[in-house]
Amino acid sequence: MKEIIIINPLGLHARPAALFCTKAKRFISDVTISKDGKAVNAKSVMMVMTIGVECGDQVQITANGPDAKEAEEKLVELLSTLED
Amino acid sequence: MLNIFGKKNSRIQNPIKGTIIPVEEIPDEVFARKMMGDGFGIIPEDSMVYSPVDGTIIKVFKTKHVLLIKSVQGLDLIVHLGLETVELKGEGFEIFVKNKQVVKAGDLLAKVDFDFIVSKNKSPISAIIITNIELVKSMDISYGPQVEKSIVCICKP
Repeated sequence: MKEIIIINPLGLHARPAALFCTKAKRFISDVTISKDGKAVNAKSVMMVMTIGVECGDQVQITANGPDAKEAEEKLVELLSTLED
Repeated sequence: MLNIFGKKNSRIQNPIKGTIIPVEEIPDEVFARKMMGDGFGIIPEDSMVYSPVDGTIIKVFKTKHVLLIKSVQGLDLIVHLGLETVELKGEGFEIFVKNKQVVKAGDLLAKVDFDFIVSKNKSPISAIIITNIELVKSMDISYGPQVEKSIVCICKP
């Protein structure tokens, strides 16, 4: 599990959520993103948008599977460089 | 994945009076490249936004420019009002539904001041996107000018 604070001013609205999910889908591992204890499938853009991640929110990325470590690293890296 | 969509076609009503355009022609690559799913675009001619399906409002974004709806047949829909409109932070949008509310196709969801959106140099083009498009084998979309609430998309499972 890796934790990160969202820094792009508008949070995971449509475009950043789509970019995030597109990346998550590249991994074989199951990946979740969670906020305030609510975890959702990181590969579902609908679910990611449902948890309403805003700037300043702390989120956790958890991957389970053969490429879990890489998935967590790359997704956290993506979140840390997101632009609106 | 549970497919309650089954063998029945899913009909999607036009939420906003205007011109229906292919998703590939929406001038925002997130939609045009189908990064969120597949659907269609609307060049609006009216401010009223009606529910495209019978379903449940999953989420109304704080910024009021996006509504997420789960249809009774299991389709996950994004109703994205205008492009880049997240930056307006809710200004120009009036929403008449709330999270978890059950809606019928044709129920009034929102009123959008598209003239205001254009005055802020944003595109009024709106998008209806099915995110769990893996449930849909083919979509039959009626492009061109369409009145509100007319059936503009038939999804075949």
